[in-house]
Amino acid sequence: MSELSAISDALVELEEDKVKELVQQELAKGTDPLSIVLECNAGMARIGKLFEDNEYFLSELIMSGEIMKDVMALLEPLLVKNDDTSAPSQGTVVIGTVKDDLHDIGKNIVITMLKGTGFNVVDLGVDVAAETFVQSLQETGAKALGLSTLLNFTFPQIKLIIQALEKSGLREQVKVIIGGAPCNEDVRDFVGADYYAKDAAAGVRLCKEIYA
Amino acid sequence: MANEMEKLYAERLGRYQATIALESTDRMPVASGSNYFAEIYSGNTNQETIYDPEKWLQAEKTFIRDFPEVDVLRDNRVWAPLYDAVALKTYRLPGRELLPTNQVQFVEAEYMLANEYDLLIANPEQFILERFIPRVLGAAAHNGSPAANMAFLKGGMAHVMMSQIMRNRSQTLEQACGMPQPMTGAFLAPFDALSDAMRGLKGVLLDIYRQPDNVLAACDVLVDEMVSFALSTADPLRRYPIFVPTHKPTFLSPKQFDKFYWPSFKKTLQIIIDAGYKVRAYLEGDWGAHWHHLLELPKGTILCDIDVQGDIFKAKEAIGHHQCLAGGMPDSLLILGNAQEVRERVKLLCNTVGQGGGFIINGGCNIPYNTKPENYRAMLDAIVEFGVYDLSIKPVPRPAPPQLLNPQDLKKVVTPWESKLAELGGVLGDESLIRRPWELLENLGHTWIWQWIM
Repeated sequence: MSELSAISDALVELEEDKVKELVQQELAKGTDPLSIVLECNAGMARIGKLFEDNEYFLSELIMSGEIMKDVMALLEPLLVKNDDTSAPSQGTVVIGTVKDDLHDIGKNIVITMLKGTGFNVVDLGVDVAAETFVQSLQETGAKALGLSTLLNFTFPQIKLIIQALEKSGLREQVKVIIGGAPCNEDVRDFVGADYYAKDAAAGVRLCKEIYA
Repeated sequence: MANEMEKLYAERLGRYQATIALESTDRMPVASGSNYFAEIYSGNTNQETIYDPEKWLQAEKTFIRDFPEVDVLRDNRVWAPLYDAVALKTYRLPGRELLPTNQVQFVEAEYMLANEYDLLIANPEQFILERFIPRVLGAAAHNGSPAANMAFLKGGMAHVMMSQIMRNRSQTLEQACGMPQPMTGAFLAPFDALSDAMRGLKGVLLDIYRQPDNVLAACDVLVDEMVSFALSTADPLRRYPIFVPTHKPTFLSPKQFDKFYWPSFKKTLQIIIDAGYKVRAYLEGDWGAHWHHLLELPKGTILCDIDVQGDIFKAKEAIGHHQCLAGGMPDSLLILGNAQEVRERVKLLCNTVGQGGGFIINGGCNIPYNTKPENYRAMLDAIVEFGVYDLSIKPVPRPAPPQLLNPQDLKKVVTPWESKLAELGGVLGDESLIRRPWELLENLGHTWIWQWIM
């Protein structure tokens, strides 16, 4: 296991080439791809912790997400071949940037961290209408919904989404988290969400609580 | 009437300038830079603001009539037909692909590839013309095609028309309403210039890890381009600060900021200050880990807008004794709160960070579109009540800041006069009569090709 932990160490240090090299070495040795994925996830969790502790900043999250994306592109086909579906999921989170807002940087950072922590994420993209969120929640049965926004004129839109959840009878079984630059507790109160996540790490923590 | 407006203009400008310079004045100015609320307060859509200059001006006149305490109101928005003429890809516009009530939105993409640093560094103008413009202007995708030729032609004319529109607005606001500008002209920090429209945030962050030296060299090269752009779009009379929105620092660690963002930004700011200008900088996101650097520039030269994620009290403590600050009013309070809450917030700000001047109450780098009118009214009433310093002072405009550098020497061209003169093999008459307009048009062209990174 000591070689495997070198992968997560290199990931935490953001040593892109070294991570890829080590992954290739492990695969050549016949190591189970799933255990490599789990090791990488452990690295991503450590990066999340460093971010929470203000040791790492958004750039480190984005860079680690990029490295992970390349690693997963390599490993995912192998996981399917093994008929070993994938790492056990912590739960499903539906996430999107709300209608009339096209910004996705913040949302994508949260997705990187959620995936790295083992969540199954359904990314609905940007400018997402209320009915699309409702439909996705119905299809996936997800218990957590993340709503992202950068523009403060979308507050009424967020409220509409949550009202649509109520109308469709989903409100009781879904916890709604809002995040993005203009959000705070006052906004959460206005739109009727369950939680406000100050940053990506807080969002992941809330999802863990919801699925605990 | 004219005299009265002149007086009002002088008083407002003097109040704003004194505050930026950290000097005493009668009261705290009401001086937001981006007052989005003003644009739609009287019922206009966001589409009308960017497509119909006359309707926009009417909206601002109505706004000034109803909120005469306001000291500055901006005119530097885009005239959208310019973007349509060239099919600029970086913006989604209200009324075009967005609802008329939505706002202008910037959409990032990689318009410069990771392997093109050498080209940008060796010859920035050539890079912009040959690589960047065909990608970022949909109409100019094929160099030399009829569509591309028309795009350059219409785009050039639209740019001149836009300049005239903005100049007329500025003059009308000054003469008919006694209203100065919060800023005129704009530029980007070199790192933002590289990462907004060229490499994109993800691209530039990968570059920081994969090719750090190229990122540094590109930022260095962009200093002179940004200085030229700033000085070419600035107020020739140097009454108003030049605008710089900062976009990426909130994503950077202090180490990354210190190495990749600050050195070239500082150089750009210092040259602009030496050319006799002040700067209004939107410190977007949380600059808490970075703003101490503003102490390195001369006192009272940079008006810093502190965003809602920044802590205005910490900002005051860290740099408020050296640079003027704006902010402190949460956007969500203007949108969702009530008049009493706004009044209390203003009172708190006036009694703390507002003490001693050098402070402007503002939302997070703007006044939001959906501010409740009664909250805005309450904000102004409270500023007039609690933001008084010394009513015996009658504010008057300050002399323009000192100049160590001549702005004319810093404005760039694509083809220098010397090359043209050599091509002509000398001229028979007065060379300066030919040279000056040549350089003027060259500089306009230079500004035109760089505006698409904004």
